Amino acid sequence: MMIKNSLIFLNLIFLCLVISACQNSKTNVPKFTAEDLAKANWQQIETKARGTTVNFAMWAGDENRNRFFQTNAAAALKQKYEINLNIVPLGDTAEVISKLLNEKSAEKNENGSVDMIWINGENFRTAKQGNLLWGKFAEHLPNIRYYAAEAGRRDFGTTIEGLEAPWQRAQFVLAYDTARFAEPPRTIEKLGEWIKAHPNRFTYIAPPDFTGSVFLRHILFHFGGGAEKFQTFDEELYKEAATKTFAFLNEIKPYLWRKGETFPNSTKELDRLFANNEVDFSFAYGASFATERIGRGEYPPTVRTFVFDSGTIGNYNFLTIPFNADNPAGALVVINYFMSPEFQIEQVRQIGSVYPHNLDALNDAEKKAVAELPRGAATLSEAELLEHLIPEADSEYLERLEKDWREKVLLNF
Amino acid sequence: MSVILKKTTNPRIAVAIFSLAVTLPLAWLIVQSFARNWRFPALFPPESSWRAWSYLLDSASGVSTALLNSLVIALLVTILAICLALPAARGIALHDFKGKNLVLFLLLLPILSPAIATAIGGHALFLRYGLTDSYLSVILAHLIPTVPYCVLTLTGSFLRFDVNLEAQARTLGASATQVLRFVTLPSIAPGIGVSAVFAFLISWSQYLTTWLIGGGKIVTLPLVLVGFQRSGDETVTAALTLIFLIPTIIFVALTARFWREN
Repeated sequence: MMIKNSLIFLNLIFLCLVISACQNSKTNVPKFTAEDLAKANWQQIETKARGTTVNFAMWAGDENRNRFFQTNAAAALKQKYEINLNIVPLGDTAEVISKLLNEKSAEKNENGSVDMIWINGENFRTAKQGNLLWGKFAEHLPNIRYYAAEAGRRDFGTTIEGLEAPWQRAQFVLAYDTARFAEPPRTIEKLGEWIKAHPNRFTYIAPPDFTGSVFLRHILFHFGGGAEKFQTFDEELYKEAATKTFAFLNEIKPYLWRKGETFPNSTKELDRLFANNEVDFSFAYGASFATERIGRGEYPPTVRTFVFDSGTIGNYNFLTIPFNADNPAGALVVINYFMSPEFQIEQVRQIGSVYPHNLDALNDAEKKAVAELPRGAATLSEAELLEHLIPEADSEYLERLEKDWREKVLLNF
Repeated sequence: MSVILKKTTNPRIAVAIFSLAVTLPLAWLIVQSFARNWRFPALFPPESSWRAWSYLLDSASGVSTALLNSLVIALLVTILAICLALPAARGIALHDFKGKNLVLFLLLLPILSPAIATAIGGHALFLRYGLTDSYLSVILAHLIPTVPYCVLTLTGSFLRFDVNLEAQARTLGASATQVLRFVTLPSIAPGIGVSAVFAFLISWSQYLTTWLIGGGKIVTLPLVLVGFQRSGDETVTAALTLIFLIPTIIFVALTARFWREN
């Protein structure tokens, strides 16, 4: 009997713990909203942010980047604004979006555990459609002036409307190994010929993987008459270009790695095939990716990158604030600092990213500092990248292409 | 027939195959965690590097904090899960009552339904009661998948336990606590041990639940590991996996010792 009683007693203690945890003290301080931001001046925001902690949810799968944010960036924020930066590591940004969706439906409108998110593309679209974002803030940030105006307009065809602030620039590049051949094919046609002449030595990542999908869009643009035509969705244009795209993909299919019966599912898998000399090309949405891989000892040092003569797709990735952020003022100050030339120059130095600003907006000292930035051997020059930069397509093309590829190419035997 | 089987299945071969199956992946992880420029067809890495290990030891990686969080949470979950499971298991094993099967079914439901449904549904429920983004909420959430396993294993122990032993001890003058200490607990100790291992390892490997209900504020080892695993940095992933496997290795070693001694 005693045994049972003592166990019941233990469980009662446990129940009390649960109940006490449920009675969360609710703070009644009015929330700082985007309307307040529009009325405030920047000095007030910085004062408000002083001494606070900002929880930053970022994809955390890169050692150098993690180290840079945990040490350099955190130390700079502490010193300049007395802000504590706390990294919330993400395996996939979609996870933070599903968390916010749950919180939205449970009406948890404050005390959120995340104050700012590194985001772009489909995650931004989901967040915008689900009203998961704090509000229009980008145009009130002093450092927005360093970015080209078009940087803040559209994210994968979704209009931004100030709900996220441009941060870093990414551009699609392909990698090849100069130890295997000197000159890569620089057009879609030449690539097609190359694939037929070298059976088993090329493959691409299966959509709907983000990177596999962007590779397909280059082919779509090639057959549809250029990226500019794909800025708004046009059924006729899609049908015409997609028919040719799928014909091309089916034509090269028997010459692909494993005869096109299977495709790698992620950048990770394509990378491994390329590094292990099973295929001759890898590609990624990030101009410095090959340099990073060489640094980690995954690619041989002879690897270089290239872009198509007709250009490669580039876009920005962004920083945003979720609707229930506990510390929006702190997040605004951190985002603004992350957009500064000072931060961006340091970031390029430490992790070899691509400098994202409109260079005309910089003063002479900043221009000089940017010009002197080191550049990884496998990263193309700023001039070459910008000269070959083409915009993203409307996201409707993206969805249709991913869906139809499955039916018309993958399942077409 | 059985004679032939006995002759052909040499236990040593079976043991050798089994040990290889366990040790080879471990050996590969160790080599990979120090490897640099290791590509097909090289059988061994051409260069070695401390990159992964020095990163994990660096406080900037957050691995030490994550390790501590994982450990504290898993230990508390283990203790609580066993306390919660003991009365349930005793009731199910030693008493017959109406709706016993229904109770069993409800107890096992969290492990019968897909983990993602439990995680997302659990998150919605926890949100309603303001029980998110804290250590306590993560511990509570980990109880959902651990308690059913503890109930199952402890029910087995109680089924083999003769309640009359308790009564006998009482008639011989033992106090209630003495009965608990010298009769009941020793009889079900192996069951408690097994369910503790289950509870610890299940809590130790939770990813989605920890992330959703802890809101990213409570960073455990799987949260750090998944980021690297998805990015394809195999060197850091291998080193993190080895750290992640430490409790499993300890438990296997302890079990082996237990078997040898008994």
